[in-house]
Amino acid sequence: MASVAPAPSTARPAPAGERKGIPGRSGKFNRVDPVFYAFLLPALVLFTIAITVPAITGIVYSFTNSIGFGESEFIGFLNYAVLFSDPAVLSSYGFTLGFSVVTVVLVNLIAFFLALGLTSRIRFRNALRSTFVIPMVVSGIIIAYVFQYLFSNSLPQLGQAISNPVLSQSILANADLAWIGVVLVTAWQAVPSALLIYIAGLLSIPGDVYEAAQIDGASGRQRLWSITLPLVAGYIVINVIVGFKNFINSYDIIVGLTNGGPGTATRSVAMTIFTGFTGGDYAYQMANAAIFFLIAIAIAVLQLRVTRGRAAIR
Amino acid sequence: MTASPHFLNRPVSRRAVLGGLGALGVTGLLAGCAPSGGRTDITFFMSKTEVLEHFTELISEFNSSQSNVRVILDSSSNIAATFVRGNPPDIACFTYNLEMARFMERGALSDLSDVSIASQIRPEVQELVDQYATYPGRTSVIPWSVTAAAVIYNQDIFEEQGLEVPRTWTEFTEVCEALVAAGITPIYGTYRDPWTIAQGHFDYTVGGSFDTAEFFEKMKEQGPQVGIDSSVSFQKDFFEPMERMVQLNEWSNQNAASRGYGEGNFAMGAGEAAMYMQGPWALTEIEKTAPDARLGNFPLPMTDDPDDLRVRVNLDLALWIPEESQKKDAAREFLEFLTKPEVQDTYNQQFLAFGTRQDAPPQEDPRVAELQSFYDEGRFYQGPSKAIPLTIPAEGYIQAMMTGSSIEGTLRTMDNDWRRLAVRS
Amino acid sequence: MSTPTITTVAEPAAQRAPDEKSRRPRRKVGQERTSWGATILLLLAAVTVIVPLYVTVMMSLKTDAQAVDGNAFSLPLPLDFSTFARAWELTDFPRAFGVSVFVSAVAVAGTVILSALASYAIVRNWSHRLFRWSFFYLLAAMFLPFPVVALAQIKMTGTVGLDNPLGVAFLHIMFQMSFSILLFTAFLRSLPEELEESARLDGATTGQTFWRLVFPLLAPMSATVAIFAFLASWNDFMMPSLITSDPALQTLPVVQSLFQDQFTANYNVAFASYLMAMAPAIVVYLFTQRWVLSGVTQGAIK
Repeated sequence: MASVAPAPSTARPAPAGERKGIPGRSGKFNRVDPVFYAFLLPALVLFTIAITVPAITGIVYSFTNSIGFGESEFIGFLNYAVLFSDPAVLSSYGFTLGFSVVTVVLVNLIAFFLALGLTSRIRFRNALRSTFVIPMVVSGIIIAYVFQYLFSNSLPQLGQAISNPVLSQSILANADLAWIGVVLVTAWQAVPSALLIYIAGLLSIPGDVYEAAQIDGASGRQRLWSITLPLVAGYIVINVIVGFKNFINSYDIIVGLTNGGPGTATRSVAMTIFTGFTGGDYAYQMANAAIFFLIAIAIAVLQLRVTRGRAAIR
Repeated sequence: MTASPHFLNRPVSRRAVLGGLGALGVTGLLAGCAPSGGRTDITFFMSKTEVLEHFTELISEFNSSQSNVRVILDSSSNIAATFVRGNPPDIACFTYNLEMARFMERGALSDLSDVSIASQIRPEVQELVDQYATYPGRTSVIPWSVTAAAVIYNQDIFEEQGLEVPRTWTEFTEVCEALVAAGITPIYGTYRDPWTIAQGHFDYTVGGSFDTAEFFEKMKEQGPQVGIDSSVSFQKDFFEPMERMVQLNEWSNQNAASRGYGEGNFAMGAGEAAMYMQGPWALTEIEKTAPDARLGNFPLPMTDDPDDLRVRVNLDLALWIPEESQKKDAAREFLEFLTKPEVQDTYNQQFLAFGTRQDAPPQEDPRVAELQSFYDEGRFYQGPSKAIPLTIPAEGYIQAMMTGSSIEGTLRTMDNDWRRLAVRS
Repeated sequence: MSTPTITTVAEPAAQRAPDEKSRRPRRKVGQERTSWGATILLLLAAVTVIVPLYVTVMMSLKTDAQAVDGNAFSLPLPLDFSTFARAWELTDFPRAFGVSVFVSAVAVAGTVILSALASYAIVRNWSHRLFRWSFFYLLAAMFLPFPVVALAQIKMTGTVGLDNPLGVAFLHIMFQMSFSILLFTAFLRSLPEELEESARLDGATTGQTFWRLVFPLLAPMSATVAIFAFLASWNDFMMPSLITSDPALQTLPVVQSLFQDQFTANYNVAFASYLMAMAPAIVVYLFTQRWVLSGVTQGAIK
């Protein structure tokens, strides 16, 4: 069992042979070969120049009243103070987090069951697998434009045909329903990458585990709950963390689909931050971005802590 | 949108070598604006999609008319990024609004008070520039083309129904009711694109009600004090116009919330509605599917006094030369070319806009000619939606009011946003 | 956190990759009945993938008049290919395509090489603080919102003369690094080290060991990393639009934004341009999908 479970826990003893040669752990090579520095440094230095230094610059600006151009002066924590009483900012956080949670759940449910199907005994298996991956390769903004057309024209036509007053209008024009459109299109594009991970996970379960369970008389549902799910738990963790990270940064699809509307119902945090460039509110939105960064990191760490604990119990 | 075979091609043929991908990166590095054969290359920024073709022709005319300067068109750059980077275009012909004013206010645009057209600009038009911001001692921006927006109406429908162009709010409501009674949709709304409500319904109702330039002047003065108790506020001054704006819903197509600008143009061409709250840019789009549509224009009346009628204008295109340009003289040569009366007037005539010189000829196209007198008499205002900084999601708020949100609550939010912005800037 | 929690999740998968081959035949022997129920359900589900693509193709083939009739599913007869010609001309497709290919190619190559080198150094020196901390340092950037760095990057690339496709590709590499290192380190941990040790005993240096032995072994994961780097770079609008200063050197998504302008009523031309934006990636994918799928599922995690 232990060698099978993709367990998100390092406490578990490593399978024989897996780690024994790793320097440092085994204590065989304590001196670092200088070549390793040469391997690491290019990435580290370039990354620092291209990402870290600009990021620090951006954070420094969050303490000013800069519009992104020309001179500016330091105003201390004023931007941060104003930020927490700004309903536009707070509601964008509310929408973004709620939307992300729903999308993560939906994407993982769909991807998991598709993966089960695509690894079972079906016809056209390769063709179907290939088809389901296609949405991944299409750019978000383009697919958002296509769906926007479908939601505004084709779906209302369908709604009229079945005389449903709610569907006769575009759901994107309905402040209570527009978020569903955003979730659906985001999920459409995000399912493939989660799907591939689940397929990989399911393929890594040896068939004899199932055969043994079948001999023991386990039903399909029992097998799913007691064998499959525990064995792919590690993949669920990855999908949830990476997915959540992607969804809270949603920008392209929302811009193409609703542009934050109707009203401000689907304005994401990333969209709000971007208005800092176009709207001459650069410093303020840098403060927003800094807070957003901290929240994103905190959520990721939290997710890891929680899932790690669960895996250990199992 | 028609095909223009070379507007994007031109710079490439000289610079980029397709297929030689490695070379591409290198040319990218070298592609500054090196003088070619004694000529000075200048970058000209103009991103108005519908008129790209026209400008391509102007540029080639200019380039072949002399041998000192060669103009290269840029229609895709992010203009804010070019200023941040420190290599803005040498000259631009660009919409002038609050966003551009921020650069001007900080001295990013050079003084043009000595170019020949500067003294001929109509003072009321130059005043439009100053409404956003000024830079002491400079004429930073030369207005080049003004568009006037009002209510586009289908003349055939009006004639068939025996309707006169309304000159008071009461007459306007009567026209709408008569159309409804005749089974005709009075107004075509395209609420899916929030900008169409902002520039149309919102600007017309507010701008037709009171002096918006003065309002925003006071709003700026009050800054952090804006609220229910301040002398002006969105809550107080915008409430009535907003009620009327929402009232327009009654006379609009039922599916307005899910219609967009493109569909609106098509519907107007097909005669599906009698009126349309759009500017002259829509007229050229409608023309593509309905070349024979007979359309006219009238300002939306908001009071019962015909003397209060005013049209919404915007500085659709204005010329400026950045302080950071290293080739100001060459850029000015091109500016002088663009401000030649025959060049400027031809453009404004063709694209249904109005000239900016005191001696500019009147607009002859019947679709907008009705607005000429308002323009001549200075009975116009700049869209109030454009006076609200983009960081306040005004278009979203307007769309929300139009589709059922509380007017009072939304206007209060706008006051709060305004106050918060004033506190931190 | 003393251990790289995220990556350990991935280990077993990679290490178990060969199982697929050994398992499949075994299954087939005993219980071979095709599940038609599941097949039909999946075919229905596949329709949701196909419909938007079908609509895009249909719309793009319509004439102006057909396009505004509002029926997305109707067949466009007579076929109208002129929209493609118009979209092709307006965007100067071949040039923009060339620039996009250049940017993506540099971004993919740079991402794979830089991340693979760094990951190898990190995994093999995990006990050293510098390497361990570097890992977390590089990883944290995954959560950094792009606008924080954008303005400074615009200034920086402008100052050093990288306000061109090369600079865009460079920044793409940097932004893709966190995720790529996450993937590579996960895979590297699962590679048995005996091979490396015996290579060393034969006198190979660390550099030789990496290039001749480790890098080839990384191939499946390199494929995965490359695919993600390609997609991120190919479909990006924001970076090139902000960084590249010469409009003649803009990428495909940026020049195509011309059609997404608010003043365009021609759905057929717009959809033709959408199709032209999607097609290259889809065509490349369809030709390489076998390799992509096996690469990803054998690289196991991504």
